[in-house]
Amino acid sequence: MHLILVGLSHKTAPIEIRETLTFPADRQAAALAAFTCSDKVSEAVVLSTCNRTEIYAVTTSGADSIDSVIDCMCSFHHLDRAGLDPYLYASEGEAVVRHLFRVVASLDSMVVGEAQILGQAKEAYDHSFGNGASGRVFNKLFRQSFEVGKRVRSETAIGESAVSISYAAVELARKVFDTLDGRTILVLGAGKMSELTAKHLVSQGVRSVLVANRTYERAVDLARRFEGEPIRYEDLFTRMRDADIVISSTAAPGYVVTRGDVAEVMKKRSGRPLFFIDIALPRDIDPAVNDLNNVFLYDIDDLSGVVESNLEERMREAAQAEIIIEDEIAAFERWLESMEVVPTIAAIRAKSERMRAEEMEKALKRLDGLSEKEIATVEALTQAIVNKMLHGPTARLKAAAAEKDGYEYVDSARHLWGLDSQDAKPRHAHGLRGLLGLTDKARKDETGESLGC
Amino acid sequence: MTVILQNVAMWLAMSLLTGATVLYGYFFLSKKPAHSFMASLLTGAAFILLTASIGLYSSASEGSRLFGPYSLVLAAWALVLVYFVVEHLVKLKVYGVVLLPLALVLLAVAQVLLPAAAGAQPGAVEMVQLNSWRVTMHVILIVFANAGFAIGAAASATYLVLEEQLKKHRTSTLFKRLPSLAQTDLIARRAIGWAFPAYSAGLLLGVLRAVETDVSGWWSDPRVMLSGVVWVVYAAYLYLRFGRGASGRTTAWVALGGVVFVIALAVVARTLPEGFHVFGIARP
Repeated sequence: MHLILVGLSHKTAPIEIRETLTFPADRQAAALAAFTCSDKVSEAVVLSTCNRTEIYAVTTSGADSIDSVIDCMCSFHHLDRAGLDPYLYASEGEAVVRHLFRVVASLDSMVVGEAQILGQAKEAYDHSFGNGASGRVFNKLFRQSFEVGKRVRSETAIGESAVSISYAAVELARKVFDTLDGRTILVLGAGKMSELTAKHLVSQGVRSVLVANRTYERAVDLARRFEGEPIRYEDLFTRMRDADIVISSTAAPGYVVTRGDVAEVMKKRSGRPLFFIDIALPRDIDPAVNDLNNVFLYDIDDLSGVVESNLEERMREAAQAEIIIEDEIAAFERWLESMEVVPTIAAIRAKSERMRAEEMEKALKRLDGLSEKEIATVEALTQAIVNKMLHGPTARLKAAAAEKDGYEYVDSARHLWGLDSQDAKPRHAHGLRGLLGLTDKARKDETGESLGC
Repeated sequence: MTVILQNVAMWLAMSLLTGATVLYGYFFLSKKPAHSFMASLLTGAAFILLTASIGLYSSASEGSRLFGPYSLVLAAWALVLVYFVVEHLVKLKVYGVVLLPLALVLLAVAQVLLPAAAGAQPGAVEMVQLNSWRVTMHVILIVFANAGFAIGAAASATYLVLEEQLKKHRTSTLFKRLPSLAQTDLIARRAIGWAFPAYSAGLLLGVLRAVETDVSGWWSDPRVMLSGVVWVVYAAYLYLRFGRGASGRTTAWVALGGVVFVIALAVVARTLPEGFHVFGIARP
């Protein structure tokens, strides 16, 4: 068994290519059926978002299966493989697990730390599960990847800070007012940017929107969209007393709000703070306004600075997330190893039962004349002895298999019980470990044995 | 035996408060809920031990000692209690980073001064003055009011730091971890709003006791005069905040000014041997 991944993303393919290779929800069932119809693919998940299309599969072989998945993708979308190849990436084994965990943790996203990808991955898995394309391996792998996503979001600050201008404005307003519930905003100028910022603020609980524009009709038009109140331009400073946040984006060539204007407004606000967001270019609000007590002014450069700083922080948090991912990869590996113990224990029990039955048969031949009840008693006795003798070792083997390097216990048990032929390892164990591309040689290399360490 | 137990409880409480301070610090930087939970747990345990220690001390000395360095222990106890209440009311744990070390400092200073004051008793005249429920209430109210003023000062300092960061458009880790301006202003306002009436009532009871025991020139005692200054500063705070609608920045500075006078009063009360109000001084 092999774990493979084939896909493309915003990092490898332009939008013109990405849009040709999408698997929308209504075509997922057909796509999953197409991928799993071949004997080579036993499980598949199709993750298709605006920034990436990725096919995760459990296959019987490595490189061949990658080719067959790519061919299947091309035929599903009637695409020429030669035209698609330069944009595709593929990986196998542990690299697939790492990639999935990074994707779900939003480390591979266009905006690192965005939250949407976790939901999209869940949706992709649900499609696979619902269509019977997900089995034991993907049930575990994807569910664990969701845990990784949650852990990264809860244990790091990767998704905390705003990384867009309008959200940065909302975040700063919250830093001043704590909650935006019941606050009043004044939109000065009816531009697109001020509308977008106002929209974000309204979605955060702002109660009322006042709109002022030199052309009153445009103010009426924008106010209607927010169920707000249009105000005459000449009433601007009178009504500014009622506002908590002022968003300005007029096309005026100079300052439309001066320090003197705001100083007058502040005299009648009973100590309430006033937060200005100036997203106009050239600026609408005199920077000296920021020097006034209880007045906070952020222009477009200040907001960009906040966004940049937040992005840098997300990158720092990403380093923490990578540690969590390594931890989870190790946990997945341990799970695979623990899975190998199940057939081993079954084989030990089967062999013991066979031996018991053979010995029982020999003994019964020697003990002629036993009644039915006596035979049943001896049978139960031998079964009880075998079960009691096996219980401790098998329970400990199960527990040990879940530990790091637990596969060594499984190998030892198989050797001691003579479950395998002299050279051959159990087929199933190879299969599961093969998922991550971890052969015994690879393990020895990891531990330095092959280097004589 | 009681004294040993009291000392063990006190040192354990101090150790737990140290642990809680470190955890609050970690929580401030990491924002991991586990740290804050453990910090609250340690603070709660420390408070219980501190209460037990005070109880044991009272039983050993046949009644609570409201004078001498032991009043610092009471002040620390009140501070932890008031902080604990505030933390659970407003769900804000940031102030633990500042207030628990303050409680620790009070306890540490008390531990340094207490041996020198061992066996110290006020004089016969002072004993008469102290022997009244009014004095007990006076001390309790002042101690709790001071805890409220300390919380108000911590919130005001936070306000000024955050306001500075907002004005200069800084987005440091400190900026991200601090609560909002509105929240810090609200905590300062409420803490001082509750502490001021308690302080006023405490002062009033003290004045009544001084008058009824016929202490001449009680008003000229430096401690009494300083406490009058403290009262005026916090009265001004409330007037500016609620009467004049002054900005958060102005009132934050006033609150910090007030706590400077509270600290000055605490130092003077324990060092200046002049005046009738000398109960804070250890005199063997």
